[in-house]
Amino acid sequence: MNFFVSTRAELIKIKRSASLWICFLGAGFIPLIFLLNYALQPAKNLPRLMMFPWAVHFGIGWHAFSSFLLPMFIILICSLIPQIEFKNNTWKQVFASPQPLANIFFSKLFVIVVTIILLFLLFNFFLVMSAVLANLIIPKYGFLKSHVDIITMWKLNWQIFLSVMGIIAFQYFLSLRFKNFIAAVGIGLALLIASIIAIPFWDHAYTLPYAHPMLTMQNFASKKNQVALPKHEIYSVFYFIGFALLAFLDMKYRKERG
Amino acid sequence: MSSLIKTQNLNFSFSSGVKTLDNVNLDVPQGSIYGFLGPNGAGKTTTLRLLLGLLRNQQGTIEIFDKQFSSHRLEILRKLGSLIEQPSLYLHLTAKENLDIYRRIYECERSRIPEVLKTVGLDNTGKKKIKQFSLGMKQRLSIAITLLHQPQLLILDEPTNGLDPNGIIEVRELMKKLNKEHGTTVLVSSHILNEVERMATHVGIIHKGRLLFQGRLHELQQMKTKQSLLEIETSDNSRSLQLMKDQFASQESGGKIILPFQNKEQTAAINKLLVQGGVDVYALHPQQSDLEQLFMDITNTNN
Repeated sequence: MNFFVSTRAELIKIKRSASLWICFLGAGFIPLIFLLNYALQPAKNLPRLMMFPWAVHFGIGWHAFSSFLLPMFIILICSLIPQIEFKNNTWKQVFASPQPLANIFFSKLFVIVVTIILLFLLFNFFLVMSAVLANLIIPKYGFLKSHVDIITMWKLNWQIFLSVMGIIAFQYFLSLRFKNFIAAVGIGLALLIASIIAIPFWDHAYTLPYAHPMLTMQNFASKKNQVALPKHEIYSVFYFIGFALLAFLDMKYRKERG
Repeated sequence: MSSLIKTQNLNFSFSSGVKTLDNVNLDVPQGSIYGFLGPNGAGKTTTLRLLLGLLRNQQGTIEIFDKQFSSHRLEILRKLGSLIEQPSLYLHLTAKENLDIYRRIYECERSRIPEVLKTVGLDNTGKKKIKQFSLGMKQRLSIAITLLHQPQLLILDEPTNGLDPNGIIEVRELMKKLNKEHGTTVLVSSHILNEVERMATHVGIIHKGRLLFQGRLHELQQMKTKQSLLEIETSDNSRSLQLMKDQFASQESGGKIILPFQNKEQTAAINKLLVQGGVDVYALHPQQSDLEQLFMDITNTNN
């Protein structure tokens, strides 16, 4: 059986699930606040959006999103997708079906990654929509007269994605390990808060997966992103590989499945 | 008849260290309906979970379709359908969506979905989500999933649990039909002797992790008959005992006369003897031993 078949089956499972709703709500929350802010307080926003409206809009938007909300939504998505099996008592049917364990494990991880990519795409889309709508309401804004710097936006998205990879694999590991949804989410949120607190005080904060998105945004803000791949993003990629492997071996050698 | 499932010296302990399975040698013949009988906690589900690879085998061997499960897991799972304990369904999806997931995994035609839905009588559920289904409907849909790929072997763990009497009959008839028309071998667990008797061709009895009896249903029925008693209520027990003493080993107990039950002819002969002897017979019925009693008897036989 090929990986594609398992993935198609996994995609059907997330239809109408809470993870998809979280994805839409999570992506739309900050753009909606921005739209209200731009529409209701033009005098305050016009000066800072005068020169490079899109760059400023995306910069502030991603900064607000990636430090706390993005990791939080990733924690929720990574927990909610495996939770579909726990909640419906379906793990046993999955493991008793003729699928290699690697297909079961990696197709679910793949669907989580796809959902998170969807979260990124939707966030960008809603950010664009909030700016366009604000411009239609208040024509003085310069969004419709200037262009989006696609290359910078792509780079920002790519590096933030790299920075959350460690969180994805670790949360996936937790959510497969704990039947109780609250345990995986609770541990994730506690580590996220601890990491945010540690960033200004600890020189080795780059070793903390949950600090990585914030470090990427700090790099972008301070224009330190000249380095091909900052140290914390390399850590994030290695954490992803390490935790994914650990979670897979844990599933493979578990005494009881389903 | 060759064996479709064969286990040798299957042993299993959970972390508590207590032996859940003790040298279980299961032998399910091809083409049979094998009733796997035992009270709750006897080790039925543990055995079935081991057969499906849901528990890691600790000791002993499992052969299904003449192949070692450990080295041919996918090949074996492709040819069997299973239902373990409660229904495993995605409650936020419809019946068709649930079947579509497993249709892809088992790589069968889309046309199988309406076919199996019709087989289990759920072809009119439309866009209704599973969370709105009754337990009986969920159980039937779970059975539909097991039938998607027309498996040669069905492993069903207490499939009639939670079903109403009609549902129980439907599931039982479905198993018999699949067995008769498609030659599907069915391994079905239950804790109800009566239920197993109505559908099984072969029976295995497990108690406290040990397989106490295994064989054809009629062998079990013979054993059960051997343990049965005939109870007689009469107008005069003393006179009845007197009349029967030369031919039957009877005794009085609790205001009734009891003696080992042999067959229907014996019952008729006793009735005739008592009536002709001037005793009124109010009731005369064989009291078959229940499952617990049978377990005890089999245990005693094995010890």
